[in-house]
Amino acid sequence: MPTKPRISWRRGLLAFVVLAFVIGGCYWMRRSKGGGMTEFEGARPIRPQDIALPDGYAIEAIATGLTFPTGVAFDEAGGIYVVESGYSYGEVTDTPRLLRVEPGGGTRVIASGGGNGPWNGVAGHEGAFYVAEGGAFEGGRILRVTPDGQIVAIADSLPSMGDHHTNGPVVGQDGWIYFGQGTATNSAVVGEDNASFGWLERHPDFHDTPCRDVTLTGVNFESTDPLNGGETTTGAFSPFGTPTTEGQVVRGRVPCNGAILRVRPDGGAIELVAWGLRNPFGLAFGPDARLYVTDNGYDERGSRKVFGSGDYLWRIEQGSWYGWPDFAGGRPFFDDDIRPVLARAPGNPPEPAAVFGVHSSADGFDFSRNGAFGHVGEAFVALLGDMSPPVGKVLSPVGFKVVRVDVESGVVEDFAVNEGDTNGPASWLGSGGLERPVAARFDPSGTALYVVDFGVMTMTERGPEPRKETGVLWKITRSGSR
Amino acid sequence: MSAGRIAPLLIAAGLTVGCGQARRSEPLMGPLALQSDAEQGRTTFMKYCQPCHPGGEAGLGPSLNDKALPTFLKKFQVRQGIGSMPSFSEAEISDQQLDDIMAYLKALRGHEGEPGG
Repeated sequence: MPTKPRISWRRGLLAFVVLAFVIGGCYWMRRSKGGGMTEFEGARPIRPQDIALPDGYAIEAIATGLTFPTGVAFDEAGGIYVVESGYSYGEVTDTPRLLRVEPGGGTRVIASGGGNGPWNGVAGHEGAFYVAEGGAFEGGRILRVTPDGQIVAIADSLPSMGDHHTNGPVVGQDGWIYFGQGTATNSAVVGEDNASFGWLERHPDFHDTPCRDVTLTGVNFESTDPLNGGETTTGAFSPFGTPTTEGQVVRGRVPCNGAILRVRPDGGAIELVAWGLRNPFGLAFGPDARLYVTDNGYDERGSRKVFGSGDYLWRIEQGSWYGWPDFAGGRPFFDDDIRPVLARAPGNPPEPAAVFGVHSSADGFDFSRNGAFGHVGEAFVALLGDMSPPVGKVLSPVGFKVVRVDVESGVVEDFAVNEGDTNGPASWLGSGGLERPVAARFDPSGTALYVVDFGVMTMTERGPEPRKETGVLWKITRSGSR
Repeated sequence: MSAGRIAPLLIAAGLTVGCGQARRSEPLMGPLALQSDAEQGRTTFMKYCQPCHPGGEAGLGPSLNDKALPTFLKKFQVRQGIGSMPSFSEAEISDQQLDDIMAYLKALRGHEGEPGG
């Protein structure tokens, strides 16, 4: 009688470990497959049927041919407005504009800004619009724009000339204008990557400013010097080429980087709400009347690379520190080789309300508040999508969709995605669906979700290549709620 | 060839060859019904696994939805952390939570709902 062969699981386990190490090692040899790593020419096709939604929902394109749109807002009569950024990564500039979207999809210019984009988001409030002027060239501002096109700055001189800009804004029930101010750098150290962004040459002394005093470990970083040639040494919260020392105190001040700030609608002193964020891009008040913020996590770039950091949705607590530049998602870094730059953490970072994919770029969002649309109390978040490979490697495109988030459980579910065997932007898939969703906001009735699609931005050896006039405003409704 | 020799090959195949559709989310496959353990597992998955495997799909890391890897090997990888993947101790993810994550992944992988919901 033949003996039944015995499966040697110990042997299998050993083989697995060997194989896993081989495959794990191969991870570092595999080429990145970011969603922007594709070719694009000609006009952008628009085919709503290429976008998948849960049963009962439908999507249509309301306006097309927009250039770098970043936000949508509404007036008291339900009129629809979008802002065009006027600046995009890749150092492409245009005129930042507030546009009214007319029935039929045409647009009318309400106001135009100068050469200080990007305009990153807009909120309507009591007959006016509040725009976050990113301020890549002259510093960030919060602008009050009236329907007759008048522009008044209610906050200015924001530290916005770096990697990340002035974002938001949103109006609180207390009447204050809340906005985000991004950091100058990836992880507090100015490096060669900032030269690639384009700003280091314009503002060679610019660096991150903390909101409160911080004490440094004195860890410094060597890099080549793209401004003067040769090598140089740079510490945290310091100009490029300036090392720091152990125990050095960097004085905090407001306005600062990596923060949620607020200002009254008629201007005045800027107040600190929270800090220790990286790039707080989207802001919205939840059904619990608490402020929630999306935050773009670290990249694997520059002098202080951070691998594997997701993007986050934070529930904001007044005065709290959220961990940048030494924590990710409320925890110390996985990688022990990344030494902290702060000698003492300014606080215990809270847990995020939700975590998004690494490099997904979680941006503008809003909460559902009408049962006719469904998912009341959940956040609908636009994921712009990865900018790999400069930000780090991915094995498949990340983002390029709209997700919904249960902020109590932290569960993230797809809501609007492109059809196909693989996730990715329409230009990568060769379809007519979503490209780079950058904001999502419900109309005043709460029955329609408007999704602002930034448009095509490919990643090439020369860096990001955004395409003008490829932006789209989408509208999602549920059957019976149109 | 003995089963002991075949097993490593099957494991290798499971690691490297995709089985079925990687995309399992509601817009494409309809809503996913979960038992309570898988529901708990989804919550834990969102905290620890979602960043690299969003929705079980590929991202920073590989897809989990189309890999026929035995559960015990998945758990082994979570505990040991291999290659670029970090390890997760019992202090971070308890044994019960790890079991629940496996239940969620099993439910996700078996989700064959109607496309379009």
